[in-house]
Amino acid sequence: MAHTIAVPGQLLGPADQYVAGAGTHIHESNLYSSLLGTVAVVQPEKAPGPAKRLTKISALQTPATLPTISVSRTGISERREVLPEVGNTVLCRVTRIQPRQATVAILVVGETVLEAEWQGVIRVQDVRATEKDRVKIYESFRPGDIVRAHVISLGDQANYYLSTASNELGVIMAMSEAGNVMYPVSWKEYRDAETGLSESRKVAKPF
Amino acid sequence: MATDSEMVFVLPGDGIDASLIPTHPKRPLRLGPGLRHIPPSTIVPTIAGQLVTDHKKNSLWVEYNGGRYIPAVGDLVIGQVDRSAADFYYVALSDYSSNASLPQLAFEMATKKTRPNLATGALVYARVSLANRHMDPELECVNSSTGKADGLGPLVGGMLYSISLGMARRLLMRKSVEEGRVVVLEELGALGLAFETAVGRNGKMWVNSEDTKTVLIVGRAVKETDEGNLTVDQQKKLVRKLVKEMS
Repeated sequence: MAHTIAVPGQLLGPADQYVAGAGTHIHESNLYSSLLGTVAVVQPEKAPGPAKRLTKISALQTPATLPTISVSRTGISERREVLPEVGNTVLCRVTRIQPRQATVAILVVGETVLEAEWQGVIRVQDVRATEKDRVKIYESFRPGDIVRAHVISLGDQANYYLSTASNELGVIMAMSEAGNVMYPVSWKEYRDAETGLSESRKVAKPF
Repeated sequence: MATDSEMVFVLPGDGIDASLIPTHPKRPLRLGPGLRHIPPSTIVPTIAGQLVTDHKKNSLWVEYNGGRYIPAVGDLVIGQVDRSAADFYYVALSDYSSNASLPQLAFEMATKKTRPNLATGALVYARVSLANRHMDPELECVNSSTGKADGLGPLVGGMLYSISLGMARRLLMRKSVEEGRVVVLEELGALGLAFETAVGRNGKMWVNSEDTKTVLIVGRAVKETDEGNLTVDQQKKLVRKLVKEMS
């Protein structure tokens, strides 16, 4: 297997000699590449053998002993397209509020700034962990706020589903009605630095 | 509100003479609609109209007429049901604006099993419960704290008239005769006509009576007062003329 570049559909090896990794698929007991990219073979870690046991039962050629073959795109182009996954923490900007949900544009996944903006939705029952039925969207978010949220579902064709039901999730930056930057005073209040007026938000706990 | 010998008119952005701003030893200055406070001490009109002061309450505001109705929390409005969806009615408050949503349970004695029966096109008298510039307004037909309707709910029969926002404001004043200077309704009542009215701050008035002619007289009287900007005497003359014509 001296090939370093594989094209989709290229035969990589038999399935009883390799374990299928990312970017590959098995067809009729053979491993084929699914992507255009570089082939990587990872040898398995040598598991520390247990002390000799007379009655040990083990499968023939366990997967742990086979090398993993994978194809990745990074060799071809350096940019990696990161997608939000369930459980990721994302930063997003609120684009629209409605009585039962807030629509957001996901800007940052983990530490990676995204090239394209994905649309997400924070439903009214996912804004807070307590008293979910008495949440008012207008007192939690406003259009233009920057929000830290968790992805709870990959959702449907249009939206990811996000949640801010935790102390460290919620609005991290907000502008007041007068147009000034606000600073947080409690879990539900931001204050305008210049005019001194307060506005309600679901505030994220600052680090 | 004393009638000033000279009325002050302002345009948006005008400066306000310091002598016009009322002072009070105890009460803070309250700014009403049409004025904006820019800290620390600038007051700027944002709309064209007459600058009015109330020295007793220490408040200052701009009286203006016309323009589009902007919903504010607590306003009483007359809307027309546009369509009904699950759990909500979508009610049109003004032309070319988004519909307001009215929950089907926000009526007196409404439960999940017994919902009100409002068809498309029905009129409803409601109070604005949520209004801000980021969301569509929401209405309610029941006082949420007491659970009573207080006159809110569907308006059956009668006829709807469109009036200017200023006229609606004058009709809704507590002292509409002295301060709003609208006497047509009192005069028509004094002449023996029996009718009921409901006024919505979104520029709509509903009139109902057993006699169709009465409905037409009342509607015409208010509309001509509004359009002609009639004084109290002119209104009295108009009322007499209308009753004579129609009887």
